[in-house]
Amino acid sequence: MPGLVGFYTFGEGRENWDASHFIHYGLSALQGRGQESVSLAVIGPGNALHTLGGKGGVEDFFEKNGTGIPKGFIGIGQTSSYVDDHLVHVKAPYELVLALDGKTDLHENRGEASKLFARQLSQLLHSEKEPLKATSMLINKIGGGYSFVALTHKQELISGRNPLGVKPLETGSVGFDIAAVASETCALDVMGIDHTGPVETGEVIMFTPEDIRGNAPAADAGNFCSYEYVYLARLDSKVNTLPVATVRNNIGRELAKAHPAKADVVIGVPETALPVANGYSQEAGLPQELGFVRTGENIRAALEPTQKERLVGVQLKLNPVKSAIEGKDVVLVDDSVVRGNTLHNTVLNLKRNGAHQVHVRIGSPTLISPCPYGVEIPPRDELVSSSLNEKELANNVGADSISFMTVDELQHAIGLPRQNLCMRCFENEGATR
Amino acid sequence: MRVMGVGGGAREHALAWKLSLSDHKPEIFWIAENRNPGIYKICKDNQGELRTGRTTDPKTIVRSARGWGVDMVVVGPEEPSFHGIPDALEKEGIHCIGASQELSIIERSKADLRRLQWENNLPGRLLFRTFKYAREASDFIRKNIDTQPWLQNIVIKPARQSGGKGVKLIEDRLAYLHDDKERFKEAYFDSLQSSMAAYSDIEDKILVEEKAWGPEYSLQCFTDGKTVLGTPLVQDNKSAHEFDSGPETGGMGSISGPDMILPFVTREEYDKSLKIVEGIVEAIQKKTGRSYHGMVGGQMMLTENEGPTIIEMYSRLGDPEALNMLAMLKTDIIDVFQAIVERRLSKLKLEFTNEDAVVVKVVAPNGYPEKKDKAKGHPVQVFETNIKRNGCYLFWGNADLQENGEVVTGGSRLLALMAMDHTLPPASARIEKTVSSIQLTDGWGLYHRTDIGSEQLLAKRHDSAERVRRLYKYREEQGTLGRRMEWVPKVGKVDPSQLLLKEMRGPEKA
Repeated sequence: MPGLVGFYTFGEGRENWDASHFIHYGLSALQGRGQESVSLAVIGPGNALHTLGGKGGVEDFFEKNGTGIPKGFIGIGQTSSYVDDHLVHVKAPYELVLALDGKTDLHENRGEASKLFARQLSQLLHSEKEPLKATSMLINKIGGGYSFVALTHKQELISGRNPLGVKPLETGSVGFDIAAVASETCALDVMGIDHTGPVETGEVIMFTPEDIRGNAPAADAGNFCSYEYVYLARLDSKVNTLPVATVRNNIGRELAKAHPAKADVVIGVPETALPVANGYSQEAGLPQELGFVRTGENIRAALEPTQKERLVGVQLKLNPVKSAIEGKDVVLVDDSVVRGNTLHNTVLNLKRNGAHQVHVRIGSPTLISPCPYGVEIPPRDELVSSSLNEKELANNVGADSISFMTVDELQHAIGLPRQNLCMRCFENEGATR
Repeated sequence: MRVMGVGGGAREHALAWKLSLSDHKPEIFWIAENRNPGIYKICKDNQGELRTGRTTDPKTIVRSARGWGVDMVVVGPEEPSFHGIPDALEKEGIHCIGASQELSIIERSKADLRRLQWENNLPGRLLFRTFKYAREASDFIRKNIDTQPWLQNIVIKPARQSGGKGVKLIEDRLAYLHDDKERFKEAYFDSLQSSMAAYSDIEDKILVEEKAWGPEYSLQCFTDGKTVLGTPLVQDNKSAHEFDSGPETGGMGSISGPDMILPFVTREEYDKSLKIVEGIVEAIQKKTGRSYHGMVGGQMMLTENEGPTIIEMYSRLGDPEALNMLAMLKTDIIDVFQAIVERRLSKLKLEFTNEDAVVVKVVAPNGYPEKKDKAKGHPVQVFETNIKRNGCYLFWGNADLQENGEVVTGGSRLLALMAMDHTLPPASARIEKTVSSIQLTDGWGLYHRTDIGSEQLLAKRHDSAERVRRLYKYREEQGTLGRRMEWVPKVGKVDPSQLLLKEMRGPEKA
């Protein structure tokens, strides 16, 4: 799953802005959406497109490349959870560079599907007179669930979100000089750019040296990814105009109402589940304690690629605060359970350090299906909840009880109508369009 | 009676429209640089005529006024005032509604306006500095940015009104983007220095001001020099695109009503703003010894340090803000102008509708404001019955009526659509329904801002007003409103206002 940033400038003196520098910080804020590869493209004087890609995290990438980072005054960038996932550069007939979050239905393979999308876009921009209309037609024609930003050799920055609207995309601006788009509002904040609103479902917004143009969005509100609220998006972001922090607090409260537990203390698994634990504690009237301290970088265990790295990730992440748990019955709150390995280690860690009972409460329903839109939810046979029921899972991880939210409870906590939420990973239906 | 107007934009079209509705049934004459189709028609229907000519040339204006034998001249835009048109007319004994050259300095020189405020201790001001050279500006900022933190977040303007040179807003709050902001800022100083070199009429070339944030609004007033009468608040929208993004324009649309205040401004703030504008009128009259008769406007912002604050002054009505005000004006406009001429504005009962809110949206050709040459010369088609059916009004702006009857775009803001309703959102929706009635027949695109007057944008304004109001009200309670105080490590307390005043006074005399 990539995080996208598009940076645009207007007016006199625009050549003095360093787009890569802004994109650097924008991508840093989106690091949680992927830390396997980074790439960016900029246009400087002379309208030449310069691109650069590399492995690893955002900070590493920019540090390693130093002065080799291409300079320009407009640009796009992405950080991705896929290894070697880079911008698609199409040279002809209409040169452009594309970053796409999600998946189009043009090919089984996500990368190939993005390439085919980029080629079709290039073709259309070449043959159609009205680029905005052409792009708008394209996203209505090509299915899947995706958001994208593209940069053309004519200094156009085209951003869009297909009518399904599974993937987020937000716009911002500051002063009269700068406009931007990003997967999450936190990236705009970090770039010092004021959030102006989401790219609506089915909407294309095009930035040119002369203006910003948009088509009419789809009449339908869309089918938003619920996993964004559960886990993917950063706490300080808004997704589809809802603050993630508020939703996570609601999830905790909903969880406490529907899945109470007799315990002395509520402990959240850092980082994502902390605000959920907070909501649980507030609703249940139990104190919340900080039960773990993280060491090292914030490695997002669910998205780590190999089993070994996952274990290292978990252990580095979580050192228990013994005094907070010793001799206590604990409600352990986590955001979701993918393979069950994080949970297994965490419960074990709590008990080994003196916790008595551990009741696990999960702020999302059981993950039982892979994501058709490119979130790295592993295949079914790697999803622990697709094979084990709650009781079996509790025994497996060593917990005294475990319970998950239901799909209805999650929908209620998010507060959007059921038809506007994609919950396909939690059940075998959902986004069927 | 015969009235002559000067200027060819939407604001002047609205003035002509309002004159044509007067019970005095004036004959209406006009001079504009373009053949504005709306003004053209009104003049023709009211026993007058529209003549094209240089509106900044006193000779042209005086000759026409005398030739037509007009009783009164109304000046629309600022440039004629800057060039002394009202002065020339009055020398000839022709009454003129419009700020004289010396008085219009409050608009022409943004630096003089600030000096006027600080010299006279007038509220609603911002910290500022002026510079002759780019180097001087960057050196000053580099040297003082640590002891005067207001220099981190600044607005850079040409110190004098200057064609094509815009305002740059620099927020330097994020340490990791400091170098980026500095580079951009210094490059703009250079650019200002070179483009301002052509103006020999003022010392200062570059103005740097404290950057404030908060909702903006315009308070337009009529004055006869003794009395300043406020009109309903209007909010203009300067960014070219939705939700305040994109390049700076002359104004893409405006809202007002349904009362004297806007939904996000309080009555108290209105009264304070009026006092501030009165203060400026009084101070500039005292300084120049001239009497102000015409229109004056404060482009205001609610700010955390001052509450209502002047961003800039108008020595005329705003464009498009004039449209809102004139639509709401119930008093006969000729009665208003005569009261100004006869200096009895204090006796005039100036009335406005309190039933209707007004939304104005500007329609501009693609290319405006960055590539005006591309936006110019496209033929326009208007479906007037559609506009009337939706209860909208059309005011022509930068449009030119050709000899063959065709109207072509001038490259700037083409026209403004106006609608009235009980509240703002339905008025906005009415324009949205109507806007497709205007097209360019050669296929070139037009754009406008759909968000002006919408619930969403109003909510955003309201939110911004609430935040800044909490801050300035807190200062008011603490007795620190209008004061700026910093504590700087190793330096101690720093009052940037005192530093500014000291510099304005110049070196102490021995």
